[in-house]
Amino acid sequence: MTCSVNTKGNRVHLAQCPACFLPALRGRAFWIGLGLAGLLLSPHLLQAAPSPIESDFRDDTVLATLPEAIPISNQEPDTATGLADRIQQLIGEARGTGDPRFFGYAERLFQQWPESRMDDRLLVLRATLFQSLHRFEQARKDLATVLKRTRNREHRVQARLTLANLEIVQGHYMEAKKQCQALARDYPGLIAGSCHAQVAARTGQARAAYQRLQTSLAEVDRPDVTSRLWAEGTLGDIAAQLGRAEAEQHWRRVLAASPSDLYTRTMLADWHLQRGNHNKVLALTDGYDQVDSLAVIRSIAMIRSDHPERNTLTRQLRERFSEARWRGVLLHQRDYARFLLDVEARAEQALKYARENWASQREPLDSRLLLRAARAAGDTKTLARLEQWLKQHGQTDARYPEVSS
Amino acid sequence: MTMPRTWLPCLLLLTLISQSGLAFAHKASDSFIYLDTNERELRIDVALRDLALLVPLDQDGDLQITGREVRSQREAITRTVERALELSAESGICSLQGLQWGLSRHSDGRYAAARYRISCPGGAGAEQLRYSLLFDRDSLHRGLVEITSDTGSSLAVLSPDRNQLALATETSGPLATFIMFLREGVIHLLIGLDHILFLLVLVLPVSLMGKESESDTVKARMFGLAGIVTAFTVAHSITLALAALDLVTLPIAWVETIIALSIAVAALNVAWPVLGKKTWKLAFAFGLVHGFGFASVLGDLTSGVSDMAVALAGFNLGVELGQLGLLVLGFPLLYLLSQWRLYQRALVPGILLAVAGTSLFWAAERAASI
Repeated sequence: MTCSVNTKGNRVHLAQCPACFLPALRGRAFWIGLGLAGLLLSPHLLQAAPSPIESDFRDDTVLATLPEAIPISNQEPDTATGLADRIQQLIGEARGTGDPRFFGYAERLFQQWPESRMDDRLLVLRATLFQSLHRFEQARKDLATVLKRTRNREHRVQARLTLANLEIVQGHYMEAKKQCQALARDYPGLIAGSCHAQVAARTGQARAAYQRLQTSLAEVDRPDVTSRLWAEGTLGDIAAQLGRAEAEQHWRRVLAASPSDLYTRTMLADWHLQRGNHNKVLALTDGYDQVDSLAVIRSIAMIRSDHPERNTLTRQLRERFSEARWRGVLLHQRDYARFLLDVEARAEQALKYARENWASQREPLDSRLLLRAARAAGDTKTLARLEQWLKQHGQTDARYPEVSS
Repeated sequence: MTMPRTWLPCLLLLTLISQSGLAFAHKASDSFIYLDTNERELRIDVALRDLALLVPLDQDGDLQITGREVRSQREAITRTVERALELSAESGICSLQGLQWGLSRHSDGRYAAARYRISCPGGAGAEQLRYSLLFDRDSLHRGLVEITSDTGSSLAVLSPDRNQLALATETSGPLATFIMFLREGVIHLLIGLDHILFLLVLVLPVSLMGKESESDTVKARMFGLAGIVTAFTVAHSITLALAALDLVTLPIAWVETIIALSIAVAALNVAWPVLGKKTWKLAFAFGLVHGFGFASVLGDLTSGVSDMAVALAGFNLGVELGQLGLLVLGFPLLYLLSQWRLYQRALVPGILLAVAGTSLFWAAERAASI
């Protein structure tokens, strides 16, 4: 601590020196400080002005590129099947591009459709939509309706799988396990096996779960693509949890078959980031600047490897998050918290968002983020609560080895 | 496996990809509306991407929107946007006269932008804004509004459920923000044991001064003390502003540790004035550090607040008021106690020891978490 205090200072006789009643109002340092504070507080610096309007743009400049699936027509399909097909396509588009506009289009179509005409397939799709919008309770309600009333095995299987998935994401492992068991009765195979493996891995039996699922995958004779990718993705997740290098190969296989799988891409990029393979991170995230989770990982890798473009991306993300904050509710808190923690070094604020995120999502990356933010901010209470929760489920993860119980 | 393959496998793949909530991995659809009630002007920016839903922008169907295509659809764009925007006053609907038209840029790309002069019947000011663009297509679309008036600016959001906005009359926005943050400042001071202990340590030496002249009254000392705490406030205002505006950020765990250490140092300085007796200078120096500590609290409160200047001023003034309030209540008490013989010999050393001990304990605890 340095401070320029005169150690030979005499005591001031207050009454003799009226101006010294407020000693702070003396001295050049004070006025410089005040001037600086005034400058900082001037409104012009506070609110970033919108970019100017340019009127003389060139005719041949490409200003925007549209996605192929953009729904130009506003025509509502008139059959339930037609609507379901359209919505399924929109949800797929949202998933593959990370662009929430497609969720908005899909929800709008649902809002125009009478509740009395919602069939089981539409309900499952709406639950999937709600889950994507983090409205977990509404998703649960639609899925419960389907599970209660449907006689169609397909719909039941789909509803169970979606529900199991939702419970795993939220960290409700008992409920998830029940759904996996029911799924295994209706639709035995690699997908139900993956469901079980995921739950087992999060509740203290990662090694055995990995072994079992790997054996099943090897034993199934020519599995269909969906089942195989599902199992590979799950194996990747569990391998990462165990800190095993095979994670990369599992995820690579999923990505090779489905390059638009943003979840797997994010997991793999995160894996490389944690290992300091910055070049691999940059390759995986190249061209995905619009996808927050990947862009945040990319910007961290750029900063850590002193990449010349690091400031551009950071600035872009800062602007995007500040618009998202203006918007209010629609904020992907995990990415923002990670940005605050690893790019902005604002642990307290990162902790706030990481905590809110963890209230609804408890995947390993969510838990790790909260752990790191709480540690950086010195919040021992949150740390204790989180460690208690992990311990209660016997969850250990090589990505946060310090809390292994 | 005898699973019918009509739509299930496809949907299963969907679920696979959704193993985690990557929902808002991308900026959602927003329009930006800037309303200046002083100048009676309005600017609206709509993403080209979004306009393409409503206006046939991509005429050649190559999925790319060029400058030529935008220019040729200027009329349709203007008509569509103006239909979705309505300003009104009590006297009736206001009209919009175009001032400027062109392109702008936001975090996710190019927007069509237009600036208008607002004129309402009878020369009145606009009182209500209604916006409905794209709400019938995208339930997640929002109109992000910034209203500027001579008292400051405020932010609002328009959504399908709430597509009207009463344009705040002068008194609301900034004043409400100011009062809210003033209160937060007072509350933060009162619940923050750090700051109360620090204040106590600053005040103690003054209460120890022997009576030297007739004029050295409680009142005079109180003024002197007020100067000390004000120096502290000015200093933390500076660093708080630096931190709140993202100009300087320090790791909070370090800041908290140094704050704890500074309290211990200040306490020891009362007994052994190694840093001198010019208490206001000490207060100023320590205030600089404490400001960074306040910043972490303020950061949680200011999300969504547009008027950072007003918020900061309110918070700082609140802290100052809290300090002065404590001083007015606490110092006379200390002054009375100081008439007691054991005050200087037992009570003050005891307090100092307790404060130094507590803050060193905090420092150790906080350092351990770094």
